[in-house]
Amino acid sequence: MQPKISAADFAVLAAQTGLPLTAEQLRELHQGYATIEAMLARINRTRPRADEPAHVFRAGAFGPRP
Amino acid sequence: MNDYPTIAEAAALIAAGKLSPVELTRHCLARVAAREPALHAFILRTEARALADAAASEARWRNGTGRGPLDGIPIAHKDIYNTAGIATTAHSRLLQDHVPADDGAVVRRLATAGTVMLGKLATHEFAFGGPSFDLPWPPPRNPWNTECSAAGSSSGTGVAVAAGMILGGTGSDTGGSIRTPAAFNGIAGLKPTYGLISRMGIQPLSPSLDHAGPMAWTVEDCAILLQAMAGHDPADPASADVAIPDYRAALAGGVKGLRIGVIRHFHESDVRANGATLGGIAAALEVFRGLGAEIRDVTLSPLADYQAVGMLVMLAEAYAVHEPWLRTRFNEYGELFRDRMALGGLIRAADYMQALRRRRDLCAEMAAAMAECDILVTASAPNEAPKLASVAKWLLFNTPNFTFPANVTGHPALALCTGYTAAGMPLSIQLIGRPFEDATVLRAGHCYEQATSWRARRPAISG
Repeated sequence: MQPKISAADFAVLAAQTGLPLTAEQLRELHQGYATIEAMLARINRTRPRADEPAHVFRAGAFGPRP
Repeated sequence: MNDYPTIAEAAALIAAGKLSPVELTRHCLARVAAREPALHAFILRTEARALADAAASEARWRNGTGRGPLDGIPIAHKDIYNTAGIATTAHSRLLQDHVPADDGAVVRRLATAGTVMLGKLATHEFAFGGPSFDLPWPPPRNPWNTECSAAGSSSGTGVAVAAGMILGGTGSDTGGSIRTPAAFNGIAGLKPTYGLISRMGIQPLSPSLDHAGPMAWTVEDCAILLQAMAGHDPADPASADVAIPDYRAALAGGVKGLRIGVIRHFHESDVRANGATLGGIAAALEVFRGLGAEIRDVTLSPLADYQAVGMLVMLAEAYAVHEPWLRTRFNEYGELFRDRMALGGLIRAADYMQALRRRRDLCAEMAAAMAECDILVTASAPNEAPKLASVAKWLLFNTPNFTFPANVTGHPALALCTGYTAAGMPLSIQLIGRPFEDATVLRAGHCYEQATSWRARRPAISG
């Protein structure tokens, strides 16, 4: 499986993490990123704008119980 | 006492004054001494602590203050469970010298129940993605064939239970880390409902997917352990404030009328399990049918959809947990964990949110399926344990596993043994129940074990 993102674009993306990657590590992660692309492609993006995530924020969850 | 007592059997003997906790502990310690050199299940053995625990238990039983079925039972903890004054390494160089000040919530609960702690058990580094051969401790080996994998990440617990070194132990499960080693080592392992057991004092991997749970030789023993482990903990924001039933009492009643839905496409076409595994599932379904259960097929989204959601959420959350060390101590991690985790830093916030929105769909889909079924069934693993060897770094992301769905949705899921291959390696099935109906899953698993003879066989290893 080959990544869709180019090596140059992947290097820009990876640099944003601040991880101390060697050139060899960068090359290997670029290859591995193809698996991330495949998983991202399975996530439907054409959803109703109001769709909620699975995790729900509940304001009352953090204070002492009544 | 037989040579391999279950927790239930040992507890009955101890309560009747026919078995000394000290004698039982010495029996287990001797087995650890004999078998550990070949199996590598332990990171740390705590013999002195075990003998002290056992002596204290014996004194309680002698003066009539025994605490119940776990009082005097030898166990051990996966080495991501914090233990006060005892190193907790997560099988990682980064925590090699980490000695917690306090016990984790589950460790404390099991100690209060009177268990005897024999030590800390091997895991995949930070409970994710081995086996690794570049860590300070080797990966455990499968007691059914020491050339084979013990799976993970709760590998040490799976091995130690199967080999009779301990009668039960703790595991954790973020994507299958209780159920897969249970399957490969031929034991029972329960990933309970999310929120049923506190995660406090357990090294985190992915907070919204992490579950603690019991592993033991039988489902009944898992029920006994769960009784002590479950319960609301205000210190864990995900902990559920629900009534805890009597799990052991709930094992009775059989499966007559139980509606079992088979997610056949998961293990027959999405990722086709091998013939032995499929044969084990088919035979198990016939056992359930013979006991009066109703069997039907169920269709869910493709297994790869559950895998994509679970893995993206897991990588994003785990990267956030590990980012400070990844930036400053990158090469102190094992290569597998380090490089896989690095990809988590490339998942954008929008991608994480889309995964969580899809997760909501999948939770609703599973809930709808369970409105018509009491139990869902699929494989625990696609095959028996393979040879222990280095794995391709990205294979974990390419190949959907059967265990991730129940982490994504939080449903309780039990792996239990369905027999053995011609070469003597264990096979397994997975039973999934409704949230907080862990007792139903355990009842079905117990009923199956009682109707079959698989629990009579132990690994043929020396020592």
